[in-house]
Amino acid sequence: MNIVVGLITGMIAGATPILLAALGGMLTFYAGIFNIAMEGMMLMAAFAAVLGSFVFHSWVIGLLFAVAGAMILALIFIFFSVTLDTDEFVTGIALNLFAVGSTTYLLRQIFKVKGVFTSKLIDSIPNIRIPLVEKIPLLGPVVSGRNLIVYLAVVATIFCYYLVFKTRFGLRLRAAGYNANSLDSSGVRTSRMRIQSLLLCAVFCGLAGAFLSLGYVTLFAENMTAGRGWISLAAIILVDGHPYGIALISLLFGFFDGLGLFLQSYGVSSQFTSMVPYIATLGALYVYARRNRERERKAL
Amino acid sequence: MDDFISLEHIVKVYPPSVLAVDDVSVGFRRGEIHSIVGENGAGKSTLMKLLYGLVPYDSGVVKIDGAPMHFRKPGDAIAMGIGMVHQEIELIPQYTVWENVVLGAEPVRGPGGVLDTKRAIELVRRKIEEFQFHLDPSAQVERISVAARQKVEILKLLYRNVSVLILDEPTAVLTPQEIPQLFAELKRLREAGTTILFISHRLDEVLELSDRITVMRKGKKIATVAASETNKEALAQMMVGRQVIFTSKRTPHRRGDRVFEAKNLCVTRRDGLKLLDDVSFSVHAGEIVGIAGVEGNGQFELVNSIMGLTAPNSGSIAVNGREICGLSILERRKLISFVPQDRAKMGASLAASILDNAIMTHHRLEPRFAAWRGLVLNYRNARAFTDSLVQRFSVQTTSSQSPFRSLSGGNQQKLILGRELLLSTPFFLMDQPTRGLDVGSIEYVHGEILAMREADRAVLLISADLEELFLIADRILVMHRGQIVADLATERTSIEEVGRYMLEGKKTA
Repeated sequence: MNIVVGLITGMIAGATPILLAALGGMLTFYAGIFNIAMEGMMLMAAFAAVLGSFVFHSWVIGLLFAVAGAMILALIFIFFSVTLDTDEFVTGIALNLFAVGSTTYLLRQIFKVKGVFTSKLIDSIPNIRIPLVEKIPLLGPVVSGRNLIVYLAVVATIFCYYLVFKTRFGLRLRAAGYNANSLDSSGVRTSRMRIQSLLLCAVFCGLAGAFLSLGYVTLFAENMTAGRGWISLAAIILVDGHPYGIALISLLFGFFDGLGLFLQSYGVSSQFTSMVPYIATLGALYVYARRNRERERKAL
Repeated sequence: MDDFISLEHIVKVYPPSVLAVDDVSVGFRRGEIHSIVGENGAGKSTLMKLLYGLVPYDSGVVKIDGAPMHFRKPGDAIAMGIGMVHQEIELIPQYTVWENVVLGAEPVRGPGGVLDTKRAIELVRRKIEEFQFHLDPSAQVERISVAARQKVEILKLLYRNVSVLILDEPTAVLTPQEIPQLFAELKRLREAGTTILFISHRLDEVLELSDRITVMRKGKKIATVAASETNKEALAQMMVGRQVIFTSKRTPHRRGDRVFEAKNLCVTRRDGLKLLDDVSFSVHAGEIVGIAGVEGNGQFELVNSIMGLTAPNSGSIAVNGREICGLSILERRKLISFVPQDRAKMGASLAASILDNAIMTHHRLEPRFAAWRGLVLNYRNARAFTDSLVQRFSVQTTSSQSPFRSLSGGNQQKLILGRELLLSTPFFLMDQPTRGLDVGSIEYVHGEILAMREADRAVLLISADLEELFLIADRILVMHRGQIVADLATERTSIEEVGRYMLEGKKTA
């Protein structure tokens, strides 16, 4: 029993940052931006979260710092790719590399450590216990006692669904991606929709980063996002940007992430287990490609 | 009658020195259909874009109801009730009709900007009923016909309450069957008080539809005339600046040996539908064979089978007695010159330079374009070739390094035609070679096709334009549901007879 609960809670913890980053990336995906900067935004946010929380001893400030950190990268992205019209892929790569370099540099300059920074003064984001639910056997320990950000992620998924498919903002957002000329000629500036989507993406990546460094663990490690931003991009592309599909893929990835940790406790080497989620991603890609080809063949 | 909109002494210069609109003054009345005609590049589209606020003008005044106006962006024009439907349809295919119509002016409820779907559909449905557009507001745009999409564009403007509609060559994307319906709808809009400015170069259409017609040539307004007081020849003369003859210049010519032969061609779709059904015919040297038919009756499959883009299920195709069905496309191109239907997608690469487009295929077939054992192109020869091609076919261009897309439609077609002619193959396949071209360019293309006939090349011409076939073809084959239902000598048939075969197939024989 404990193993099942442990696997499920591990899955949820692994899924949360990917889900949040993917929801942010999804908004830019619909706006027609090839945004790969989630990785960098998340990393910057994770560092800023630890910095804010350490200095002010408050996870709330940490969270605000995290969003601000991701926002800085989003603003640079906006300046280059929307205002100056540079290539989105190149801009994204540059920002991701910049995030790795700058957080490592700041880690050494501000905290005077290499590799990992942790301290008792860092205030982590609390877990939330739900009074009655936690008493329910099996379900209780899974649903209750999760990190605040986990619940936020669930709300964010539903929120994003409504935002994209049920609101005026969503209609214009998707129009920006489907046919920018059509949106412009309808009297709505495409560039504005793209800017707004990037700012929202920064908020979500900020939450994702804060969860990594103040929720999942309470520390900052160099390059601690470890490719999660890329996995979130894969999740978006795999399900063609549907928020519920993204949630599903994130959980799947979270499961393999958790499975890796679980196997580690059974003596499988950690280098191998850290490969598991990525092997799963390749597997998912294969299944997806096969299914698509089947569908195309049927359509003919 | 007072002019509702008047343009006074409008001038537009495209730097450095192209005078696109040269001191044009013209007035439009409320509730009239007013056509602007002219060859490609005559400035008719530019003039309308100036009025719409899409392109700034250099001098002159635009007055609406006597008051001077200056539109800086299309939004200003729409606010004043002037809307324009462009040649390229700009809709979102993934969206439904109503979503496309309301985009940018959506009804919402509550402070959160939640779409009021029910009200939006209702508003759009009411507009559709008001103008009898026969559209389903909830249909997805990618699943409706081009004609219906055009209606959605018009609806989008009517939803924004425009009273002046500018339509830039709306019939260019329509099939012949869809055009009368559009015209009926436009006339209904006129009865409802809408002013319609209709840009076109198809004179028959313009004469049928308009109340008044303004003719432009090389940026200048030539005249504004009432449609009832003019005719096709007079308009064409004003447009081109010289007399245009609409009668055949085909002279008797003896046909030679058989060059092209298709035997029992069949193309069957996966679900069993026969797209080409036992098609056999031949084309002789010095002969122009036309293929008539409503679009979608197998012409596309026939062209693809000949060019090697589709493998026929059975049958054979031979050029000069050589079976080509198993050959690669490059091998076929040694025997067949080809002008495809879609200039932009198949005939050329829009982003590549004029030079690149001019030497396509030639660069694979002729050793003079290769250097270093074919690893690089011989640009000196390529340039010389392009220059001579541009000169011989009088393509209006500034530099062979400019992108192909910078050419006007007529000049693009001249370049493609020239390139194919210079391949000096025995067989020439042309798929709608004059679609979208203006009167002057069409005359030119027809002249070139007839010259090929004189040079004893075999020509297969597929055209949706029956008048064109009657002008230049020696024989007309009619396709209906994948079959050739008639083989008629042009001299001994009539447009009416061909039209009957097109619609009803063999029954009438």
